[in-house]
Amino acid sequence: MITITPPFDPRVDLGRGLVLANPIGVASGTFGFGFEAEALVGITHLGAIFSKGTTAVAREGNHPPRIAETAAGMLNSIGLQNPGVEVVARDYAARWAQWPVPVLVNVAGADISEYVAIVQHLDGVSGVSGVELNISCPNIAHGLDFATEPGAAARCVAAVRAVTTLPLVVKLSPNVTDIAEVARAVADAGADAVSAVNTYLGMKMALHARRPVLPGLGVGGLSGPAIKPLALAAVAKVRRAVGIPVIGIGGIATTADALEFLVAGADAVQVGTANFNNPQASREIVEGCLAYAEQHHLQRFTDLRWQEQDHPGSREPSLDVD
Amino acid sequence: MTPLAGASTQGLVGESDLSRAVDEAAECTALQPLQGNLFEIRFRAPEVARRAQPGQFAQIWVEQSHIPLLRRPFSFSRAQPREGVVSFYIGAVGEGSRRLRRFSPGDSARILGPLGRGFTLPDRPGRSVLVSGGLGAAPFPLLGERLLERGEQVVWVNGARTQSELYPGELVPNGMAELVQFTEDGSQGRRGRVTAGLLPSLKGADRIYACGPNQMLAALFALISESAFEEGGAPQLEVSIEAPMGCGFGTCLGCAIPLRPGAGGEGPVVGLCCRQGPVLRGSLLDWERLLQQPEHLG
Ligand SMILES: Cc1cc2nc3c(=O)[nH]c(=O)nc-3n(C[C@H](O)[C@H](O)[C@H](O)COP(=O)(O)OP(=O)(O)OC[C@H]3O[C@@H](n4cnc5c(N)ncnc54)[C@H](O)[C@@H]3O)c2cc1C
Ligand SMILES: Cc1cc2nc3c(=O)[nH]c(=O)nc-3n(C[C@H](O)[C@H](O)[C@H](O)COP(=O)(O)O)c2cc1C
Ligand code: FES
Repeated sequence: MITITPPFDPRVDLGRGLVLANPIGVASGTFGFGFEAEALVGITHLGAIFSKGTTAVAREGNHPPRIAETAAGMLNSIGLQNPGVEVVARDYAARWAQWPVPVLVNVAGADISEYVAIVQHLDGVSGVSGVELNISCPNIAHGLDFATEPGAAARCVAAVRAVTTLPLVVKLSPNVTDIAEVARAVADAGADAVSAVNTYLGMKMALHARRPVLPGLGVGGLSGPAIKPLALAAVAKVRRAVGIPVIGIGGIATTADALEFLVAGADAVQVGTANFNNPQASREIVEGCLAYAEQHHLQRFTDLRWQEQDHPGSREPSLDVD
Repeated sequence: MTPLAGASTQGLVGESDLSRAVDEAAECTALQPLQGNLFEIRFRAPEVARRAQPGQFAQIWVEQSHIPLLRRPFSFSRAQPREGVVSFYIGAVGEGSRRLRRFSPGDSARILGPLGRGFTLPDRPGRSVLVSGGLGAAPFPLLGERLLERGEQVVWVNGARTQSELYPGELVPNGMAELVQFTEDGSQGRRGRVTAGLLPSLKGADRIYACGPNQMLAALFALISESAFEEGGAPQLEVSIEAPMGCGFGTCLGCAIPLRPGAGGEGPVVGLCCRQGPVLRGSLLDWERLLQQPEHLG
């Protein structure tokens, strides 16, 4: 008997007409606004670009030092240095409009009205393919932390949803008691997709100086391979909680890393810190994932997804895991 | 030119040309241990060697593993396009530089470069004074060679705390008009700081190039600004500065440096060491804010 394998389709539908050519994007804050390193890295291979966090008005960012290396990871305390939404919507979006790759603007506000104002400014702007609401940046002082309280997160997302038809991705913080609860709340409030995770709060001490390496309270966001197992667990948990697309982020540096997130239930992934030490990481991962799909006769990348029902056992992770 | 991600520098500062950078698999060809924790390491990296200009730097991926995770920035100390070789003058101070110190010929690393903006080379020959402190000597063999090739008269004033931190005289390129060495403790050369004994060497200088600790650079900038120079005014000063770097090519915003607010601009202005630097005109930096920055703790 002849079996005909339908052709492989690498595309990912994030909703509201936003279809990525492949599931590999670059994470906010690790690829600038897309054009900074275009000459070095190129962009056409990417499924999507997630911009640096954008605020209502320009921000100078935090005092140096802003980064510190840790074991298999790094801490950052950039403080959302960005030129403000006006420049982004006017000057940067005009370039993006010429690009074959969708750019989603990562949005950060200090309160709901700032999120709404920024998204209103981006709505309908040619070149802006969507927004990613960063309700989880550890590096600016919030009066209210939207990431940790599901009710507040939902109110923020609902308010933004009311003013835009742009595809709306909500980026979740891992620094919460129950990431699934926040994921459910923002999905119910109208998010088209969720991305997980942002950085983990961390610290590095300089023993000889008896103080933290980073300024201020010494706290920064931990990223890189060190957080991959934590991020995988978070993504699997979010996958169980929501039906909308999930974008997996955290320590992805190789093709295998990216594929593991797809197994955990992600529909797409973002490459972050790996862009720094290996500018070609995203390209290598796109090529690697496509080659893997061909080798393993996948029809969609979602074929990789872990089918939990095949693995009987506790569905809720228990606390006594050791 | 790409706009700055951050507050505007109002066209004051240019940006590095990233289209010239390559990420090359490089093979160590030699490692020369020097005094103290210092060493010079050479790599075969023909593409990088062909493109490297004085004052530019490379991001070296010491081991393609997760520890250490980030690349380490080092200035080109020499670049020999015909041989396809680049050299770095390095102090072993932490994990990454110590691993490089253990390299043997045949070992490999990836070298991304050239990155950043280098020193401006003169159109017409004149007199250049190079001023360095400690590891700040690193970019000057290459700069000195390229200046001498252009018929420039070159004076190098080099200092360190002590002999074991001083750039070895035997590695200094031939043909310098003068090499003045200082150590703070007097263990080699003249006793004292470079900035204290510098003024006579600055006589007749058309340009000054400097690299070293921020304190030294700030003192040098003040010295030049306050000194009375004859007709022609003060010589042009370019300094090479450091900042912790996540990427080296403008995407992480980790390497912020304080710039002087531009004409008509309000408030503070930040630049990126890896794109607008590491070499900048002295008058572009906000020295007060630069000196307020805490020392780098690794
Ligand atoms: C543009 C530029 C050019 C440089 N050129 C030279 C050179 O020619 N020779 C030389 O010996 N050193 C040079 N340095 C400093 C060199 O990058 C650091 O000494 C080196 O990164 C230390 O790494 P480590 O792993 O040994 O130390 P660790 O302390 O273990 O490093 C931990 C982290 O801190 C960073 N870091 C530590 N010290 C510095 C520093 N002084 N500046 C910036 N980041 C730092 C490292 O890159 C790393 O990410 C240069 C720095 C810059 C920014
Ligand atoms: C230097 C740096 C800056 C970042 N800036 C932002 C930001 O502006 N907004 C945001 O939502 N996430 C930001 N992030 C988080 C990343 O997008 C990503 O969620 C996180 O780094 C985990 O992925 P990784 O381990 O692959 O880097 C930043 C991360 C780094 C390392
Ligand atoms: S080192 Fe990343 S922006 Fe300069």
